[in-house]
Amino acid sequence: MKEDEMIICRCEEVSYEELKTTAAKYKCSARELKLRTRAGMGYCGGRSCRTMVDKIAATSANDRNRTCVSLKYQPPIRPISFKNLGG
Amino acid sequence: MDNAIIIGAGPAGLTAAVTCAEKGLDVVVIDEYMRAGGRLLGQLYEEPNGNWWNGIKESTKLYKKAVDLGVNFHLNTAVNNIENSNGIWTIYTERETFHTPSLLLATGAAEAPVPVPGWTLPGVMSVGAAQVMTNVHRVKPGERGVIIGVNVLSAAIAMELQLAGVEVASLTLPKTNQMTQDAGKPKEVLDSLLHVSHMAPSPFVRYGSKLMKNDFMKKLGVNFYPKKGVKMWDIPIQLRKAVTKIYGEDEVEGVTLATINADGEVVSGSEEHIPVDFVCIAGGLYPLAELAAVAGCPFYLVEELGGYVPLHNERMESPLEGLYVAGNITGIEGAKVAAAQGRTAGLSMAHHAGMDELDGEIKNSIEWTEQTRDNAHIQFHPEIETGRKKILQQWDAYQSNKKRSVVSNSRGGIT
Repeated sequence: MKEDEMIICRCEEVSYEELKTTAAKYKCSARELKLRTRAGMGYCGGRSCRTMVDKIAATSANDRNRTCVSLKYQPPIRPISFKNLGG
Repeated sequence: MDNAIIIGAGPAGLTAAVTCAEKGLDVVVIDEYMRAGGRLLGQLYEEPNGNWWNGIKESTKLYKKAVDLGVNFHLNTAVNNIENSNGIWTIYTERETFHTPSLLLATGAAEAPVPVPGWTLPGVMSVGAAQVMTNVHRVKPGERGVIIGVNVLSAAIAMELQLAGVEVASLTLPKTNQMTQDAGKPKEVLDSLLHVSHMAPSPFVRYGSKLMKNDFMKKLGVNFYPKKGVKMWDIPIQLRKAVTKIYGEDEVEGVTLATINADGEVVSGSEEHIPVDFVCIAGGLYPLAELAAVAGCPFYLVEELGGYVPLHNERMESPLEGLYVAGNITGIEGAKVAAAQGRTAGLSMAHHAGMDELDGEIKNSIEWTEQTRDNAHIQFHPEIETGRKKILQQWDAYQSNKKRSVVSNSRGGIT
């Protein structure tokens, strides 16, 4: 397996290459990179790939905003079964 | 309604629970793991004075103390969300919903990943997972493995694996790329190890620091660093090698190891196959602050503390009323510092609950935290003190901004 082919976001099966080329093409923030590729939008809520998506984007973004987390956290922050979610 | 709720049963959370209970508060502790102790559970190392630090024993001691004081534990319970309304925090878990005026987030840290081609194969795990399997569950992660990522944590865990009779074929670097960055550069890695050398639980690191006093010597050290590596407890530490690939059909069968130059670039043709049945990746720790984020707590990015940290003061108060933080959520440090912070947070929560005359105790607890930090055997970031100062400056700046905006708002109201 080549480095470019390795999977970064396991839930949404997004490869390193897809993230790199998207970041280079749109020179986008971590949030935009997430929305364009769906990396970090799977059922784990980005618990595995968040820091990597952040790093790939950070190198193409201008300056990092130090006062708020670059990729938003949203509840539920852990997976919940449908049964428990419905009450 | 409970007087105080603590999320996280690690050294910080347990110490805070004990402190609150001693002050007469009804305390509930919630943790997603099935056993109390947090990351403390996995720790096992020899201190410079020759004593062994056994995390399981320390956890059990703290847990029993808390139970004896009447602390109510909800283990194996993940918190999904927290909300505040009219000064009361609501804590949502999959089973129950809790309410409290005083909530402590002691959620600790998470491990950062190190992506390597083939890292999705079964048999690849974080180094912390290997530690928990070995030391807590007493299950070998495999017979022979490789650890990718050389840092204080991975060196300590390599030794623990060795103690358990698991062979560590190599402690080595990831191939450098956009995500691994400095973790893949021999000079940077050696540099970070040298900073912590005088307190790291590793004769290799201690030895290295005396040899290499300045940058020139460090550069030399990397250039002439033996290709085969230096052995620590029979484990080869290979700073001039990097794993370029993890291979295997249905599970890990081995890794491809290549020689790298001082900047981390692979020397082509140097690749060799190392047969192993498991691989640990060690990308370091970052503060796990999800709940502070969903609560709307202001953050600041402090590299020295390991990442984005919720704003807090020395009393472990966050800017949100009734919300406290302690332990690695406030920055990556050892268990003893976390416990000291937990005590401060517990006292602040007791104060919030209406207990008077705690100011002296809180002041002492803050001083004790600083002393513990100064005497720590393991320091995860060489500039931890700078990081602590930065977050306090941000706290002050935030508070004075808030005051200013309150003043200008009220003026606006008058005119």
